[in-house]
Amino acid sequence: MVYIKNQYIRYIRKKPLSLIAPISVLLLVYFYFFAAHGSSSSSSGNKYSYKKKSRGLFAKNRDSVILKNLPKNHISHYDLNKLSTSADSLAKKEEVLILTPMSRFTPQYWDNIQKLTYEHSLISLGFILPRNKDGDVALKHLEEAIKDAKAANQLKYKKITILRQDTNSLNSQLEKDRHALNVQKERRSMMALARNSLLFTTIAPTTSWILWLDADIVETPAGLIQDLTSHNKPVISANVYQRYEDESTQQPSIRPYDFNNWVESEEGLKIAAGLADDEIVVEGYAEMATYRPLMAHFYDAKGDVHTEMQLDGVGGGAVMVKADVHRDGAMFPSFPFYHLIETEGFAKMAKRLGYEVFGLPNYLVYHFNE
Amino acid sequence: MSFSMSQILSPYDYKDHGKESLNKKAIISSVKTALKSKILYGVVAIIVLVAFVKAQISAFSSPVYTPNFSKIPTVQYFDLDHYDGSANGWQHEERVLFCVPLRDAAPHLPMFFGHMKNLTYPHNLIDLAFLVSDSSDDTMGELQKHLKEVQTDPDTSKRFGEIEIFEKDFGQVIGQGFSDRHGFAAQGPRRKLMARARNWLWTVAIKPYHSHVYWRDADVETVPPTILEDLMHHDKDVIVPNVWRPLPDWLGNQQPYDLNSWQESDGGLSLAETLDEDACIVEGYVEYQTWRPHLAYLRDPYGDPEVEMELDGIGGVSILTKAKVFRTGAHFPAFSFEKHAETEAFGKLSKRMGYSVIGLPHYVIWHIYEPSSDDLKHMEWMASEEIRQKEEAKIKKVYDKVWNKAFEDVQDVWRSEKNMFLKNTDMSNVRRIQVDWSGVDDNLDKQSNDKKLADFSPE
Ligand SMILES: Nc1nc2c(ncn2[C@@H]2O[C@H](COP(=O)(O)OP(=O)(O)OP(=O)(O)O)[C@@H](O)[C@H]2O)c(=O)[nH]1
Ligand SMILES: Nc1nc2c(ncn2[C@@H]2O[C@H](COP(=O)(O)OP(=O)(O)OP(=O)(O)O)[C@@H](O)[C@H]2O)c(=O)[nH]1
Ligand SMILES: [Mg+2]
Repeated sequence: MVYIKNQYIRYIRKKPLSLIAPISVLLLVYFYFFAAHGSSSSSSGNKYSYKKKSRGLFAKNRDSVILKNLPKNHISHYDLNKLSTSADSLAKKEEVLILTPMSRFTPQYWDNIQKLTYEHSLISLGFILPRNKDGDVALKHLEEAIKDAKAANQLKYKKITILRQDTNSLNSQLEKDRHALNVQKERRSMMALARNSLLFTTIAPTTSWILWLDADIVETPAGLIQDLTSHNKPVISANVYQRYEDESTQQPSIRPYDFNNWVESEEGLKIAAGLADDEIVVEGYAEMATYRPLMAHFYDAKGDVHTEMQLDGVGGGAVMVKADVHRDGAMFPSFPFYHLIETEGFAKMAKRLGYEVFGLPNYLVYHFNE
Repeated sequence: MSFSMSQILSPYDYKDHGKESLNKKAIISSVKTALKSKILYGVVAIIVLVAFVKAQISAFSSPVYTPNFSKIPTVQYFDLDHYDGSANGWQHEERVLFCVPLRDAAPHLPMFFGHMKNLTYPHNLIDLAFLVSDSSDDTMGELQKHLKEVQTDPDTSKRFGEIEIFEKDFGQVIGQGFSDRHGFAAQGPRRKLMARARNWLWTVAIKPYHSHVYWRDADVETVPPTILEDLMHHDKDVIVPNVWRPLPDWLGNQQPYDLNSWQESDGGLSLAETLDEDACIVEGYVEYQTWRPHLAYLRDPYGDPEVEMELDGIGGVSILTKAKVFRTGAHFPAFSFEKHAETEAFGKLSKRMGYSVIGLPHYVIWHIYEPSSDDLKHMEWMASEEIRQKEEAKIKKVYDKVWNKAFEDVQDVWRSEKNMFLKNTDMSNVRRIQVDWSGVDDNLDKQSNDKKLADFSPE
């Protein structure tokens, strides 16, 4: 042992490089992983340092590559005067952006949009997922579905953008603990932020229509896009129902699901007038009887599917919006706007901007049922 | 490696008994090799450990799952948390979306691009977005000319990131002259229209990977090249500088310009309550007295440029925001929002959404001087006065000359030259010339058959 130790020291004494080399390798490794990535500095103005720093100690951005396939000189030119938004959307090759906030992936949702008959190369998709475990799970499923479709040569969309939310979400456990009405305001405020983040980062200069389609809408007519755009309205909402098995008759049946499509009522306005600035009116709570006519209740199985009705509030389940409405600034308020929030606040803002809001009571789409 | 080596060596040693000395050397060298490889092992182990710890820690600090779509080019993934924007964005490769609305702005563009070239924020991190509306001059042509020039600059660090030019006409009814734009009645509709224009610009231009958004009017004359860093290092959600303008000497050489940056006051709030839903308060007009503290008036030329002031309404000449402000839905209301529209309402809306809105009273940029119609009248008068005076001077010069000429004493000259003039007028001995005019009209008579003579009566 002593011999070896002596050898060791002698060795180092003879060749000091053998010690310095590994130490310097270590230092190099340290700098490579932990310290600044390169240090190109520009000397213009000494007021600020232009040395590049990596964000945080360990973080590495694994997002998609920014700025690729840029045109010559990086300059592109779009004439928005030529953008068309018409009843004849498919024939005029109008582009549609389908936007979906997604906290849960339902395979039926994906199968349903894959079956839409609108030309897929005119469709772009946008998803935003919450920053939590639910989001992780949903994202993995979505990734798999996209890759499977690609492998089967069934992925024809113009573009798909997937975003991870930077704003808060509620944990599903917490949701049950709190009083529903309080939670509703907070939850919908967060949903509004998520919807806006999704909308404004994906709307393109070529987008004519935006279809808001929730991740739990599992069944729609295959001509959904053509059907909704054919009405040529600034904002138009389908009626969201749900399939279930009737316990008494043991027969498959349907029931109304989304109660956020409504017409304002005297009572609703009276309640709103009595509220403090930061309070909201929400549908479906006994303590707040608005007596608003709800589109969900106007469904007539024998009626014309193209029957329109004017609305004052919309839910986000399946709503077609002319992209111009959003470009003019109609967004989802994350705060009480005329005592309304999120999708209902959006309808109000669209109206403030001079647009009309419609619903199709006899045109059904179906919500997931677990 | 060291183990396998010694294993190879040892059977050799036992077989070859005649080479003891060599054997000893071999042992030493084997120890040496073993040591060398041990060190190598150590280094490799440390590298692996470091990589492992790094993976663990990064997994801990950002617990979210990241998909991998590198094989499908039509699919993009972005974690918006990576684009929240920091105080020293230029050191973290944070991209800035630089928005410029343009209308009949061709004359301002050379000055504007002069500023652009000098920006110290790394140009490759700046994405430019222009909206050209209802222009009667060649704003588009000028814009493209300047962009091409800067994007082909031999110094590649002068070139910008992505550039998008959008065209959209809103059919503006109000003229773009100073007093057309600044009359009281024009303000509501004009501000709402301008709000639409601004919204059309940012909504189509902003991408998931933008961390900051900067708004700049084309008609800014003087601005520090470090403007982006100067505003960004305050790390606020929405921040504006003070905006003044230089004036001609006869108007007293400078003046606060942008009155849209203000703090809300009780006066403002009670005025708002008296107005109807669609009314639109605009600052700086006697019709609306709000007694609000204005950023512009709080300037001290010797004050600390770092000083911050909370604002409620802001002007649009130069706004820096975190991109998340727009991303999450703040915009320029094109309707009356809390009795305001456009940039002032943007300030109010951002506040309502919980963002910080800050102004810098002692940090100033300078808007160009554009004369108002009163100024124009005065300037017209000054100009015509100048012309009149010049004309007068010219006339006086001629007049003086004529006057002198007219009163020149020519008596003596006349007396000496008189006889010569009079002599030349005596025609008595001039030669007599005879002309024969007969037959001159014959030709005319012949023609008169087919052509009528001009009706000519001397009386
Ligand atoms: N990005 C994101 N999406 C969410 C979040 N919570 C829900 N979603 C999605 O947003 C859409 C609407 O969600 P909810 O409002 O919960 O759905 P709902 O159908 O109105 O209500 P329930 O289904 O009864 O819970 C669905 O597509 C959800 O998957 C969230 O925190 N972040
Ligand atoms: N795209 C577009 N740009 C506009 C329009 N009107 C003005 N601009 C541009 O917006 C910027 C600000 O315009 P100004 O005319 O100065 O408007 P303002 O700021 O309300 O007026 P000032 O107080 O004089 O600055 C300039 O860059 C103009 O070229 C418009 O209708 N459309
Ligand atoms: Mg201006």
